[in-house]
Amino acid sequence: MLKYMVRRVLEAIPTLLGVTVISFIMIHIVPGSPVRILLGNHYTLERAAVLSKELGLNKPLWIQYFIWLGNILHGNFGFSYVYDKPVAHLILQALPHTLIIVVVSILAAHLFAVFLGSVQAYYQDSIFDQIATVINYLFYSMPSFWLGVLLIIVFSINLHWLPSGGIVSSQVSNPGFGDWVRHLILPVGSLFLISVAGWARYMRSSMRESLLQDYVRTARMKGANEFRVVFVHALRNSILPLITMFGLSLPTLLGGALFIEEIFNYPGMGLLYWDAVNSRDYPIIMAITVFLGIVTVLGNLIADILYGIVDPRIQYR
Amino acid sequence: MSNILDVELLNVEFNINGNYYHAVNDVSFHIKPGETLGLVGESGCGKSVTSLALVRLLSKSARVTGNVLFEGQNLLDLADNEMRKIRGNGIGMIFQEPMTSLNPVYKIGAQISETLLLHRDISAREAFVQSVDMLKKVGIPRPDEIMDEHPHQLSGGMRQRVMIAIAMACNPHLLIADEPTTALDVTIQAQILELMRDISNDFGTSILLITHDLGVVAEMCDRVVVMYAGQIVEQGTVDDIFFNPQHPYTRGLLNAIPKIDARSKQRLQPIEGNVPSLTRMPRGCRFSPRCPHVTDPCKMQSPELFAVDDTHFSRCWMNEKREI
Repeated sequence: MLKYMVRRVLEAIPTLLGVTVISFIMIHIVPGSPVRILLGNHYTLERAAVLSKELGLNKPLWIQYFIWLGNILHGNFGFSYVYDKPVAHLILQALPHTLIIVVVSILAAHLFAVFLGSVQAYYQDSIFDQIATVINYLFYSMPSFWLGVLLIIVFSINLHWLPSGGIVSSQVSNPGFGDWVRHLILPVGSLFLISVAGWARYMRSSMRESLLQDYVRTARMKGANEFRVVFVHALRNSILPLITMFGLSLPTLLGGALFIEEIFNYPGMGLLYWDAVNSRDYPIIMAITVFLGIVTVLGNLIADILYGIVDPRIQYR
Repeated sequence: MSNILDVELLNVEFNINGNYYHAVNDVSFHIKPGETLGLVGESGCGKSVTSLALVRLLSKSARVTGNVLFEGQNLLDLADNEMRKIRGNGIGMIFQEPMTSLNPVYKIGAQISETLLLHRDISAREAFVQSVDMLKKVGIPRPDEIMDEHPHQLSGGMRQRVMIAIAMACNPHLLIADEPTTALDVTIQAQILELMRDISNDFGTSILLITHDLGVVAEMCDRVVVMYAGQIVEQGTVDDIFFNPQHPYTRGLLNAIPKIDARSKQRLQPIEGNVPSLTRMPRGCRFSPRCPHVTDPCKMQSPELFAVDDTHFSRCWMNEKREI
């Protein structure tokens, strides 16, 4: 098992290197230079040349890449052009904010999707199943930023129940835990609704298939009640596809809470990424890209390990 | 002694596109304590549907009527929770596919203990000990290790033994075995049949053995019920059926068995045609389109189950004359 994990991590190294090369090339292809953005109205050719040299942007691209790679290997993620702070510092500041909304929404969405999908599969084609399917489709096809705006309009602007963004209320002198939680509800809610919709659909079809299997008949024949049949015997056989989804959704959510964080002005990884892309803040973009690459590898590894825990037929070699 | 099981006029209808079609038609039989009853017929004749109807495991689209008296209790009248107390406890059941009948993600030990824990007021520890005991009784080598293994680590024959251990864990009075050896190879078949016979003798368990294999019937059963197209066509002791078959369908089945006999160099005689589908039952005798002795009345009116003697019944017009 340990050997398997080590091998998987080693195998991921070339992939990660490839990711860095491609993203390095891509961000330099994208029009707009950080020098122009940093200088703004003060832009002159002389100042641009000086700044370029200062930031190391005047060297050939492949040399820039190897300098960057060397720094990364020494644990140096560089300085942000815009904030003039170490990139590692900025990421560590943003990461907890993202982790809290992502972890809470992933866990809640998975639990609820497993339950909803199972119940839908059991009461297949009933009125309940049909209504739930329609609602699922509705959220599944909704772009996250649109849903975010919708929630802001309803719950912040019309009902005044919840804040529309940020993490603390500026007008409150001593914002406490409750205030913080109130700021989390809408971003977490948006991520939750969108994730549940997709996962419940997977769970429903997977559970439908499981309920037709022979071992389900055996469980009934033993005298197990229907709750036990569904949630003990069929469930564990049905969640494998969801584990795949979990592994894939981890990087998407950590980076891809992007729109949600932008809409709710929530100071996490997504917003940091978004702002960095807009201002061509190369060190931040590259650092987050590497981070997401690592999370992708980790997500798949976690999914593979979970597979083995859930299904004893899977062995690691 | 009263019967373990009395099935009276069991009817099963399936809803196909809004219409109900009979899959099982007025089936009546009984099983005495300790007796092994064979339920024989081709694929699609209603054997499995009958067995699943007895324990109410058919899907909701099936309409089941009649009486199923198990030790005097009508199973078709029981509430769901009372029925669950019978399944696995009063009646055990094993199925055709040992490869898929065990849950792949749970250990063998947990799957056997589950039956005990569902029906007996015992600790997990005691259930474990009794499960090991049960594995020994069904002839599993290294039972302690097997308890900790998963189904995919066992062969088909071993899995069927585990299924029998699960079915017999609570010492039920009736074991329903639906084609228990069909998916196994011949040497393993013989072992499983021997095991079932031993269990029947040791525990005094009655067995309802569903099979299409007359060889299995000859080896195992005291009495035989032959089904065709949802009806019982002949019923009798093993001797009645093998040495004095009355119904042309039963004779056809017997002629279709290969014989190891120097003189019989003739080819096997298959029964021509197929079992009619639920939606297109022939009028009159259901076997008439395939029957070599068919006469005009056969095509008009369905025969009753005529008595040949006290224990022997046949649903053929040829047997009507013998009625006194």
